[in-house]
Formats: sequence, structure tokens, C-alpha cells
Amino acid sequence: MATLKVTDLHVSVTDEEAKTSKEILKGVNLTMNTGETHAIMGPNGTGKSTLSETIMGNPHYQVTQGNIMLDGVSLLGKTVDARARAGLFLAMQYPAEIKGITNMEFMRAAVNATRPADDPISVRAFLKELDKNLEVLNMSDDMAERYLNEGFSGGEKKRNEILQLMMIKPKFAILDEIDSGLDIDALQVVAKGVNQMQSPDFGVLMITHYQRLLNYIHPDQVHVMMGGRIVKTGDATLATELEAKGYAGLRDELGLDVDLVDEDVTTGNGGR
Amino acid sequence: MVKSMTLTMNPALLENAKLANEPRWLSDLRQQAWQKIATLPMPIFAKINYHHWPLLDFASESVVNVTVPESVQSQLASYQFASVGQVVAKIALDEDLMAKGVILCDLQTAIRQHSDLVANYFFKQAIQFDENRLTAINAALVNGGAFLYVPANVEVTEPINLLQVQDSRQSTNFVNHTLIVAGANSRFKVLQRSQTVGEVANPAHTMVEIVAEAGSYVKFSALDSFAKQTHAYINRRGYLANDARIDWAVGVMNDGNTIADFDSNLVGNGSHTEMQTVAISTDQQTQGIDTQVTNYGRHSEGNILQRGILLGKSALVFNGIGKIIKGAHGAKAQQENRVLMLSPKARGDANPILLIDENDVIAGHAASVGRINQDQLYYLMSRGLTKEMAQRLVARGFLGVVLRDIPVAEVRSQLVDMIERKLANGQGTE
Repeated sequence: MATLKVTDLHVSVTDEEAKTSKEILKGVNLTMNTGETHAIMGPNGTGKSTLSETIMGNPHYQVTQGNIMLDGVSLLGKTVDARARAGLFLAMQYPAEIKGITNMEFMRAAVNATRPADDPISVRAFLKELDKNLEVLNMSDDMAERYLNEGFSGGEKKRNEILQLMMIKPKFAILDEIDSGLDIDALQVVAKGVNQMQSPDFGVLMITHYQRLLNYIHPDQVHVMMGGRIVKTGDATLATELEAKGYAGLRDELGLDVDLVDEDVTTGNGGR
Repeated sequence: MVKSMTLTMNPALLENAKLANEPRWLSDLRQQAWQKIATLPMPIFAKINYHHWPLLDFASESVVNVTVPESVQSQLASYQFASVGQVVAKIALDEDLMAKGVILCDLQTAIRQHSDLVANYFFKQAIQFDENRLTAINAALVNGGAFLYVPANVEVTEPINLLQVQDSRQSTNFVNHTLIVAGANSRFKVLQRSQTVGEVANPAHTMVEIVAEAGSYVKFSALDSFAKQTHAYINRRGYLANDARIDWAVGVMNDGNTIADFDSNLVGNGSHTEMQTVAISTDQQTQGIDTQVTNYGRHSEGNILQRGILLGKSALVFNGIGKIIKGAHGAKAQQENRVLMLSPKARGDANPILLIDENDVIAGHAASVGRINQDQLYYLMSRGLTKEMAQRLVARGFLGVVLRDIPVAEVRSQLVDMIERKLANGQGTE
């Protein structure tokens, strides 16, 4: 079993032009083990994507306090590629498009990155695995020969993220709004791919706005994030509860002093 | 006038260049060109100063080595024509093609067996011998090359592959001239592979003329990899008659300093060219590449795409020249020149130049000199690729546009290997 542990994590982003720094995460604590499925829910602008990008090691985000540890080893000094090789994977909201590199050669390079230099995966084994996963995700064979994400629709990009996940087989996967922009059918396909990965050696952290995704990938734990912190943790019923109350309801119940971005819109009180 | 290099006018140079049993027209051409060398200017490559290069340091006693080295022998299977310096290592054209009148031979054989045919095209339509000092030198001192003639209405499906090796196992002059003639409505693909054997420093002068007669379609690709000690002048030009088309895909992968001129003259109405070039400059290398399309014909169309990568302290300049002559109504000229800098100490330049002398035309350009896209780098690294590996992949993708147009799988993979090698080792030592 592997453990990913986030303790008292504070993260800031710097605006290069304005030369100002803004704290986004204000003390996040989270522990997850392989074999578990976690979901983080929360309103817009509360730091969910910041958390996932920071765990992965996006240099855009600065950790000012706290730690991120994988099996007791801090990841903070490690670059994004080292974290990936240590077993982390982030399915991104906005994957980059790269012309001139085929999906297939990229995935082979990624699969080989975690293997010893003198033991790359054989072409035959790779293709067999690829075909199997393409079928699970209802993706056509020509996806492999197309340039990496180039000209892919929103739905194709999400599927492609999950395809990479299935090929690379990390210890922990963070799925950052994998449900956004997907219709119900595509959502089911993507969920099927993630569910196939489930094993005692694999953990998932889903970031989402909606309870809907959790109907297809069942979480063991649901965390609610507001104002840069995890404010409540519960089982799958917490998501249903949230759907009924809304984030503002939960905030008031917990007596938190947090501004929600869309609050004024729903109450019609005008701008701040 | 700028400080320019001069050729030591040693008559032995002219004598030694002569091929056996030359026809009168060729001797006359040599003599005329020889006399003009001293007065003609050097060609201009904007933003490149090459006047101190030993481009004209010819050997007064050019030695011919008749053995074909193993490194060339092992490649022969992929080519229908191969030469090492002045020595022909292979000519093997399909009998079926020969029956259709296709001619493939070395220049020496061409002037002996097809003198009149060659005389019609050699320095006649595409390139003029007296354009500048380097064209005159080629005309005066040419000592090798190939001749490919595809008669009217003949279609060749398999690519015709030429391997031309500069022999630098000793001091030898390499003044090469390849003539390709596409008869009316013919269609074929041709590949020119240029490289160096040996360690001696010799200049390389290589020229290709493609004459595309009405309605013909030539797909020409080239991969150049002259050695580090070779200073190279490369000139390739197409002459296009009505509705003719030439697609160029050229990989400039030389290890030494290079000036290259790739031109298409769209003389015929409705003629069309696509000119794609990729290049990498590494270490201390300087390369200047001019690609020019000149629209003379009505509704002629020319598109230029140049992409290059710089490492180390190298320099790479792309000049893209789109010239529309008065009377070329409805002409189109587009170009895109992009340079990717992988080193802060390198000097890259992408200059689009449009010279337009007609009104109802469409012309445009895009140019950029940039660093690697950080979002792309982050994405690749987030899948476990090291920064170096990710950079190489992004860089290879950047050049990948030309790869798919090279018809021979083996040459394609040679180009990929060369790109990989240059990206891995090209930053040089401080």
C-alpha cells in the first residue's frame, strides 16, 4: 500500500505582471491510500485545481508552508517529471496540444519513462495494451496516429487523458474535472476506464463540481473544500447532501466566514 | 562592395574539372563562366556574413579515390544512383522505366550519350551561369553530378533515390550539378541524399536544377548532412511551366557552415510550388538559408514553410522571399518562417521579404523566433518524461512537418536520428 499525505499545505500564486502574490490554499490536510477513491468537491475559485496542480508539481504554484509526502518522502523538492515517475498522475483540465508528435510515440515514451533504460516495453506488448484500452474507451485506432491532442474535441481530450492513465498505471491519479464538457454517454465511458483501474495498488482523487460523476465512480470519502481548506469530510452521502443544500447552505451550517464567487448572483444582491 | 572571397585563378582548376570527351558546348560554357568569375559579385544572404569562409579553397590537384567505402556500400540498396566524389558507385534503374525512356545517369555519361538533351537544359532555364560568382564557379568547375530525365506523360510510382557523397578522404574538389527534367505531364518523386565521407576539409558546391514542363508534378525531397569541416554552398532551383508543380521537402542537417538558396520560378500560368525546409544549427555553426518563390505566371501559387532549431552558440537565418512580377494576375505567395531557440547564446532570425509588383494577388507571411512552449513542456514532463526528453520531443514535433514528405522510410528515420543526435549533443561545450 502507498500513501499520499498532504499536511497543512499553504500555496500562493504570483501575478508576474502586477508583482503581487495571492494565497490560494490556506492549510489543506488530506491523506489517501492506494485502494481508495476520494472526491473533492467545492465551489468555483476555492482552490481545487490549485491543490491538484501543486501536488503534481506545477512550477506556477509556490508552496509557502506544509508538506506533500508520498510514502513518507517529501515531494516538495521534486520536479513534475520526478513526481510522475514516483507514481503520480494528473488528468488535466486543459491538456496541451502538440503538433508533430503522435499520441502513440508520446505514450510509449511515457510508459518507458518509468522503466529502466535498458528494458523498454516491447512494441508488441505496448500495442496489445493500447488496443485493449482503446476498446474500453470506445476510441478509434487512428487516435494513436494522430498528433498529441491536436484538433481533438473536448471529449476526445478527456478520453485521451484516461487512455494515458490506463497506459501509464500510476499509484495515484488526480482527475481534475474529468467530467466537465462530457455528455452522459462519454462520462460513462470515462468512468468505465477509471473503474477498470481500481485495485489495491491504485488510488483516485477526483475533483468535481457535481455529484453526477460520483454516480459512476463511487467515492469512499468525499471532501468539501471552501476558502482554500477542506472544511468537511464524509462518505458518499455528503455529496448528495451538498446537492440538496448548496455550498452556501453548508457554509452557514458550519459557521464559516468564506465568500463564494457566485453567491451574489443567486441572491441577487448586486456586486460587492 | 563588401569584402569578398576571391578564387585563385589557377588554370589547373579548370583543366582538372573537365570530364572526358566533353562536347563543345560544355567547354565553351566553362570558358565563359571562368572568365566571368572575377567580376561577378558573391550572392547576397541577408544577415549572414560568410565572406571569410574557405568556400573557394579548391585543391589544385584534385585526387580521385576509386574505392567505395564500406559506410557508403552499406547504404547502396536504398538508391538507384550513387556516387562518391567523381566515382559512380551504382546506377540501377528499373528496366520497365528505361523502356519508357526514363534516363538516369551520371553527368559524364549524360554529356556523352545525351549531349543535345542536356545542352537544352543545363544552365539554360532554371539557373543562369552568370548570376553570381558561385553560379559561375559551378559552371566552370563542375566535376560530377546526376542527370534524371522523365519523358512526357510518364508516371513513376516508386521514388527515384540519389545518393551523392562528398569524398573528403583526401583533398578533392566537390562541384556537383544535378539536372532533373520532368517532361510534360510526367509525375515522379525524387530524393537527393548528400553526405561526406572522410575528415579532410574541402568545400562543397552542389546545385540542382529541376525543369518541370507543362502539367508535370515533381515531388523532390533532400537530406543534406555534409561534415563539420565542410563549408557548403547549396543551390536548388525549379523552373515551372504552365500548370507544373514541384513540392520540395528539404532537411538541412549539415554539421558545418552552410549557405543555401532554394528557389522556384513560377514561370507558367497555374504553376504551383510548396517549399518546405527544416534545419538545425548546433555548436558554433552558422547557416543561412534563403527560400525564394518568384511568381511570373498568372494564377501561380507558391507557399514557403521554413522551420529551424538552434542550439549552442550557433546562428541560423531564414530569409523567405516572395516576389510577384508585374503581370502575374491572381498569383498567391504565402510564407511561414519559424525558429525555435534552445539556447540563450544562439542567434536566430526569420525574415519574410515580400516584393510585390501586381495588384490582384494574395500574399502573406508569418514569422517567429521563440523559445520552447512551457505548457507543452509541463504536460510532457507530467507524464514522467525528463526535461531533456520532453524538449527533444517538442523540438522534433516542431520539425516534424517535413518528415512525412520524405518518401523513403529509411531516409526518414535517418533524419529523425540526425535530429535526435543534434538535439542531444548540439549545445557544445563552453
